[in-house]
Amino acid sequence: MKKLLLLLLLLPVPWAAAFDRGELAELNDLYKSDRFEDALEGYARITAAEPANPWGWYNAGNALFRLNRMGPAVFSYAKAFRLDPRNPNIRFNLEFALRQTGQTLVPEGLPRALHYVYYLLSDIEIKALAICLFWLACLAGAAGFLLDGAPSGAAAARAAVLIGALSLGSFAWLGARQNSPFASGGVVTKAGGTRLLSGPGNNFKACASAPEGLLVKVLDSADEEYYEIGLPKEGVKGWALKTEVEKI
Amino acid sequence: MTRFFSPVLPLALALALLPLRAAATLSITAETDRTSVEINGNLYLTLQVAGDSATVPEPKIPNMQNFNIYSSGRSQSISIINGKITTSVSFTYILTPRFLGVQKIPSISISNGKELAATPEIEINVTKAAPAARAAGPRHAQQGRSARQASAGARTDGQIFLKAETDRKAAYPGEQINLSVKFYTSVPLTSNPQYMQPVLKNLIPEDLPPVRSGETDIGGERFSFSEIKTALFALTPGPAEIKAASVVVQIPSNEALDPFDPNFFQKFMSMSTAQGQSKEFSSDAIALEIKPLPAGAPDGFSGAVGNYTVAAAADRPEAKAGEAVNFSITVAGSGNLKAVTAPRLPELQDFKVFDTMSSLDIKKDGDVIGGKKTFTYILVPRAAGRKTVPPVSFVFFEPRSGQYRQLQSSPVTISVQKGDQEAKSVYFNGQAAASPKVTASDIRYVSDKPRAGFLADSADGIAALPLWLHAFPAVLMLATFWLSRFNRFKSANPLLFRFRRAKSLAEGAIDRTDTLIKAGKTVEAVSLLYDSFMAYLSDKCGVKVSALTIRKASELIKARFPGASERALEEIRELWTALELRHFAPSAAEPEGAGDLLKKYSLLIALLEKELRGPRR
Repeated sequence: MKKLLLLLLLLPVPWAAAFDRGELAELNDLYKSDRFEDALEGYARITAAEPANPWGWYNAGNALFRLNRMGPAVFSYAKAFRLDPRNPNIRFNLEFALRQTGQTLVPEGLPRALHYVYYLLSDIEIKALAICLFWLACLAGAAGFLLDGAPSGAAAARAAVLIGALSLGSFAWLGARQNSPFASGGVVTKAGGTRLLSGPGNNFKACASAPEGLLVKVLDSADEEYYEIGLPKEGVKGWALKTEVEKI
Repeated sequence: MTRFFSPVLPLALALALLPLRAAATLSITAETDRTSVEINGNLYLTLQVAGDSATVPEPKIPNMQNFNIYSSGRSQSISIINGKITTSVSFTYILTPRFLGVQKIPSISISNGKELAATPEIEINVTKAAPAARAAGPRHAQQGRSARQASAGARTDGQIFLKAETDRKAAYPGEQINLSVKFYTSVPLTSNPQYMQPVLKNLIPEDLPPVRSGETDIGGERFSFSEIKTALFALTPGPAEIKAASVVVQIPSNEALDPFDPNFFQKFMSMSTAQGQSKEFSSDAIALEIKPLPAGAPDGFSGAVGNYTVAAAADRPEAKAGEAVNFSITVAGSGNLKAVTAPRLPELQDFKVFDTMSSLDIKKDGDVIGGKKTFTYILVPRAAGRKTVPPVSFVFFEPRSGQYRQLQSSPVTISVQKGDQEAKSVYFNGQAAASPKVTASDIRYVSDKPRAGFLADSADGIAALPLWLHAFPAVLMLATFWLSRFNRFKSANPLLFRFRRAKSLAEGAIDRTDTLIKAGKTVEAVSLLYDSFMAYLSDKCGVKVSALTIRKASELIKARFPGASERALEEIRELWTALELRHFAPSAAEPEGAGDLLKKYSLLIALLEKELRGPRR
């Protein structure tokens, strides 16, 4: 048990030690002096080493935006948004970049507050919350069974039911989020946009085109070279090269 | 004058201003110079954005698949009347249609963070090229020939190509470089090509419309070409690169129709309705060298590169002390005016300097980016007299001569009369500078946070735990559930558990009796043995010890265990009698007798465990 506790305490350490603030300051200085390509290389190193660090993606998105590479910028901001959706800077820049590509972060007709609540936690945070609630529900349930017949046992049982319902709700939330434009989505990153073919191969006819920066739904990624992607708003689907669409 | 300021006037003014306050201050209108255009023609789209602040948001043109769009320029006008600002910016775009038929220019919206304004959709009828143009010259005869060649299965790779070139290979940062991308084709296309701008490294682009088109001979073959020009401005010294530009074209399918083909009608219909085969053509990448600006830039140089003039003017020659005067410095000429920053004003002892704003007019005449940028300052004279704003210096680098130039505006003199009020704070937006205004016109700055927060890290740690670990609480809960059910069952069936434990209790008593006998405590040993025997029979018969007699025990055993033998019952009676005798007459409890009783008891327990296994009732 002691070993397990020690392991849990040590878990955050690898993230903390991945790269230092000095290196980031140097990269930000490059950005400040308009050396966006150089800054981008550094930010890309950070995202490669720490894919779960939202700030690496956010800063990379900024550098890409400055380089007028709107598709990769939207992709980087979307990655950052998935990791830290509450952060106002990430949300603002994603929304800004989406507006540049004729899109909106909050779907039309949906209240902003509701959208904010829906994206209050990241996918990982919802998963962790659901797991914690599951543990708590089980432990409270165990206490309820152990204290069967006693008043404290009944209270523990009620708490277990309530926490269990919250845990189920969290899992349902997580499930719903898997269908969100970010969890199951991709971004057209090729400059000038990509062509949608009617099948996974160059011998198929082009049936539509998707502009750079467009958020798309990745329907199938089993093929080695092509994603099957959908454009929900237009009701169009087709196949696009994996080199031209990045899965978020 | 006194009558003019009668109490009626403020009321009338308030009533007059009320609708203005209620009305939206941000607006956008869109208009085209025509509603019908030929497929090989252009149309101008003009967006007029107006607002009541010094800056208005720039409209973001949505992606349009049916038009190629090029920015043609902008012009800005600002009027300041009694401190109230009205800004109007006109953005002009050239649109070239890609497909025939009715094409829509979608709604274009702008937002200043508080208000949202949008234009309605505009429908444009795209028609075929005029017959006169089509019949003009050998080009179309050649096209017809090419079409015939294409239909005969000719390859299009050499008949369509893209060529990109720049007017120079080296430039200074901020110096204009003209990129020309020419698209050549000698085969007819089913729609206008879609141009995809090249990715630029260390360069920023500015469109140079319109698209030029013409014809030329290459290797004895007649090609029609379209030329798209873009002005580029380098950002920093070092290498710069123009990556491959590309166009996507729809060319007619070159598959011949076989009337005996079983799919003849499908192919025929697809020929008449589809856009043909889609192909992409790319140009080669171009590397450029960006030279550093010469050393020794004069004081005041802020990076302006080009060829400029500078002029200063006040909006009126006379003012009263304390009244706001709009003082403008206009930088005009050729160069990237977007990058030109406001010249530094000299120390002004006689004026208080308040807000600054800029307006930008861009022209692209003769493929040269230019125009003018006007910086307007609010100056408030401190005291009466002839007050002069000294010359304002503007420094720029002229690439043609490779030298820095320093220009000075003429001094501007204002005749200031004694005023009624002291100089007070005046701002373009009619509000104190202390209340900031969010325009949200750019992305937010990079973050210096090295990692995600504690919450995210903890969530990562929890989510990364192995799946099997989460079975632990579930197993624990199931175990406690089973324990709880078991305890309940045990409470509800006490006799069942007494029956099962009878043997183990008796064996424990036998061991303890043996110990007592060996210790010479025969009386205690017999007493323990008697109590154990009574308890054993009580557990097996399911009645209390106090309610048990030899006869009742025999009856109960017979009733509950029909398979019990008479011998077993006889043994029970014998042991019971012997134990009662020694239990209630301790003097008879000798060590040898106690040992015999213990042996008998052990054998009887073994016998009863075999006999009392039958069906119970």
